[in-house]
Amino acid sequence: MRLGIDVGGTHTDAVIVDQAKGVIAKYKVKTLKEDLLGTIIHSLKEITANQDISKITNVNLSTTLSTNAIVENRLEETALFLSSGPGIDPENFAIGNNTYIINGSIDHRGSEVLGLDSIQLKKSLKECADKNIKVFAAATKFSTRNNKHELTIKEAAIPFCDYITMGHEISGLLSFPRRAATAYYNSAVWRIYNNFINSVIDAMANIGIKAPLNILKADGGTMPLEISRRVPVESILSGPAASIMGIIALCNIKEDSVILDIGGTTTDIAIFAAGSPLVNREGAALEGTPTLVRSLENRSIGIGGDSAIKIENGKVVTGPERFGPCMADGGNMPCLIDALNFKKIIQYNNRDASERGIIELAKKNKFKADHLADAAINFAAERINAEIEKMLFELNSKPVYTIHDMIHAEKIIPKKIYIIGGPAKALADVLSGDIEILVPEDYDVANAIGAALARTTFETELFCDTGKGKMIIPNINVEKNVTRQYNLDEAISDAKTFTREYLRKHGIDINLDELTITEATNFRMINDFYSAGNDIRVKCQMKPNVVMYLHK
Amino acid sequence: MLKAKNKLGLIFFPAYDWAISPTHPEREERLLYTQDQLKEEGIFDVEGIVELKPDIATDIDVMRTHFCFPDVESVTTQSHLISAGGAIRAARAVLDGEVSSAFALVRPPGHHSMKCVHGNRGFCNINNEAIMIEYIRENYNIRRIAIVDTDCHHGDGTQDIYWHDPDVLFISLHQDGRTLYPGTGHLRENGGPGAKGRTINIPLPPHTSEEGFLYVIDEMVLPILEDFKPDLIVNSAGQDNHYTDPITNMNFTAKGYAMLNDKLKPHIAVLEGGYSIQGALPYVNLGIVLAMAGIDYSHVKEPDYDIRYHPQDEEITAYIKKLKKEVLNNYFSPMPDYMRASPGEFTVRHKNIYYDTDGIHENQKEQIKTCKNCRGLLVIESSSSVNPPSAGIEIPVDGCSKCKKEGYALMEKMWKSREFVTIQMTDRVDKRYFRYSQY
Repeated sequence: MRLGIDVGGTHTDAVIVDQAKGVIAKYKVKTLKEDLLGTIIHSLKEITANQDISKITNVNLSTTLSTNAIVENRLEETALFLSSGPGIDPENFAIGNNTYIINGSIDHRGSEVLGLDSIQLKKSLKECADKNIKVFAAATKFSTRNNKHELTIKEAAIPFCDYITMGHEISGLLSFPRRAATAYYNSAVWRIYNNFINSVIDAMANIGIKAPLNILKADGGTMPLEISRRVPVESILSGPAASIMGIIALCNIKEDSVILDIGGTTTDIAIFAAGSPLVNREGAALEGTPTLVRSLENRSIGIGGDSAIKIENGKVVTGPERFGPCMADGGNMPCLIDALNFKKIIQYNNRDASERGIIELAKKNKFKADHLADAAINFAAERINAEIEKMLFELNSKPVYTIHDMIHAEKIIPKKIYIIGGPAKALADVLSGDIEILVPEDYDVANAIGAALARTTFETELFCDTGKGKMIIPNINVEKNVTRQYNLDEAISDAKTFTREYLRKHGIDINLDELTITEATNFRMINDFYSAGNDIRVKCQMKPNVVMYLHK
Repeated sequence: MLKAKNKLGLIFFPAYDWAISPTHPEREERLLYTQDQLKEEGIFDVEGIVELKPDIATDIDVMRTHFCFPDVESVTTQSHLISAGGAIRAARAVLDGEVSSAFALVRPPGHHSMKCVHGNRGFCNINNEAIMIEYIRENYNIRRIAIVDTDCHHGDGTQDIYWHDPDVLFISLHQDGRTLYPGTGHLRENGGPGAKGRTINIPLPPHTSEEGFLYVIDEMVLPILEDFKPDLIVNSAGQDNHYTDPITNMNFTAKGYAMLNDKLKPHIAVLEGGYSIQGALPYVNLGIVLAMAGIDYSHVKEPDYDIRYHPQDEEITAYIKKLKKEVLNNYFSPMPDYMRASPGEFTVRHKNIYYDTDGIHENQKEQIKTCKNCRGLLVIESSSSVNPPSAGIEIPVDGCSKCKKEGYALMEKMWKSREFVTIQMTDRVDKRYFRYSQY
């Protein structure tokens, strides 16, 4: 049995999924924003009541804790050490009040151009000590090619701090600004996250759950607890991803599809290519700041069941604002749900209140009530359709870098739309066009199902310069000497083997064939007259997927 | 987050699966380190910088600009069409108002490709900028365009294509042709009979440095542009003037390129040569991108700048100062062309062209009609070591009805003579591009 909990902004959902019987328990409760821990403990107790706790093999938790801490700026005072060498002025990437820029430079080949300024570093560390700052983050340019400067900073910083994040440990991708921001946020939520998780584990122990705890990530996968303690930032934005994973478990998705998760305030849109969710190439943006946190391609627009209906310049507009619940739920302003209620597309709570609201708003603006409700629903449907079109257009026009991909890359053309969330059934009728629309069963707890069934995901990037005789996999701290003859096949095999080894060390046993190679390139390098070795790059992924399917 | 002052479109197409030959400077690896640097700098996350996927140029796009023998397919690969398509995408982005300027970082380059194409010369098959410009003239209401070619090699291909065009000003600054491929680009080369002063060459001595290049821009290029008042400025952004370039002898820098770009303010820049792929390109491209986006580039500096870059010799400074008068004269008061045929007659040029990359020899007879109503019918007879006699006929953008009629009549007559295996018609007035072919 697997237990999944998704702590969302409005609701917290929990399910227990049995290998043979499917979903055997589900529980939904309002999230207490001020007491996430209480909500989780309460949900754990409720969902496990009347269940054989000893049969639970996994507990998977998706929580907004880190996201909220960042969005609401409840972050621990964190010192950020940047070293950049030539390029854009690193001052542009300062975050928080304690950014220290240390001279030093490593070039794009990972060669040290200028050593790190140890005097500057010492002075900065002393300043941090004076300010009583206890968590640090270090990001240096091209540290994924050569981590020497980040290591130097860490070594010097250890006596002064409780924790320091090094940028190269988070991701092997290039992007100094993203590395800086991600490392900073990671350290800034480190303590609050670890304290929280400790409490969750205590609570689990009290209830008697002995199963290991895994944490959901934004890419729809989980990470083992021990890894999450070092990279808590990876737990941000896991909610939408959990829902998407739930859909995978609930539906037999084989072709290009669109997934809509319609909530109270927003609609989340995700795209599947050939049955697999698309992963964002670079990483999620948090409050407009791009990070290296891997996430599913997913976008949110301000259309939901509780989106307010207004008249703007004589036109009926739905959303993006939400002023409390719909009138059917006792609110004071007519919302999308009320329009659907009025049109008898749905039968939801207090239909009289919905009718009253729509008729009043229509009267005030000299509309026919019927017309107003239609226009409000159409507006919402059109907004969602337009956003889907836009997203598809952007995905299909993403740049590629080889002639092969220019000529042969396949376009994503959705064949089906899957809709989940409160108003899913109602909007399914309205949205239908040429594409088949499906509303899966059990969709109301798809997020918790996704959490329960998500498997571990992980990504590594191997970089090798055979001229220098060195191979590195930065985020799992692998460094190996290689010969001039080291080739792409060996690199692919190394990337897989080292990744599996790392995951095994953290209790995740996988087969090599569960790892996918998503990129593998080999460039011959020429220096002046002669070959200077090869530049080999391999990206290896444990792709997001579920451990079992629930569809018949 | 960092914001661009000017909205910039980047068309980045490194063609990671294409090379002229395994160890050729124009090989797969060429833009790899540039991409690493741009990614690591977070360029693609800067608000106001958008990365755009290149178009793929069509046969028509190529025929609008070139006479290809025997046809477009034979002298291009997909890579060339994507590279030219990248330039077209850049133009569309700017002219449709998506961005205020655009930089096409594409390969292979194009500025050595001339009007007639039999193969590859100077690493180029088709001329990316010219294909883009003709696309612009056909699809947008724009006539006057200036091209400033800052590649270290003379842009002889672009010069050849616009030799007779009074609406396109071509300015090339380059290492003196007496010391470098392709050996042309002298002061005297000043435009065809109907377009005198519309080709401006600024041959610079080897080891010209930041000071010299910026002087040329301030004292020669900008005053000329100010007078010409182009609707659009295009920069052929070769990066081989860099002090680390392996196949040239200049002494320019990444920051210098950024400053040059900042002064020139091109609407569209298209990458040309530049073969110091580790030591120069990552920094030069970064500098140009930042300058075009209006972001501070003062921290852009090569790792070995302090060791290997030297300020300019006084002798060189004095030489470049002497050039100023000649260059400005070439634009403001060019010598009249005494060889020009009288109205109704053709001015004839004979040319021998060598395609160094492919080892092809071409013989050409180019004729341009002196016409009172338009810039005149163009007829080129061309044969080469790979193609029997072939011909191209062009009715120009502003072609008059008489020239048009004559062009079509000439095509029939030449075809009937059976002297040519292929004849291409480029009718810019009716936008008709086709060929007669014995193949």
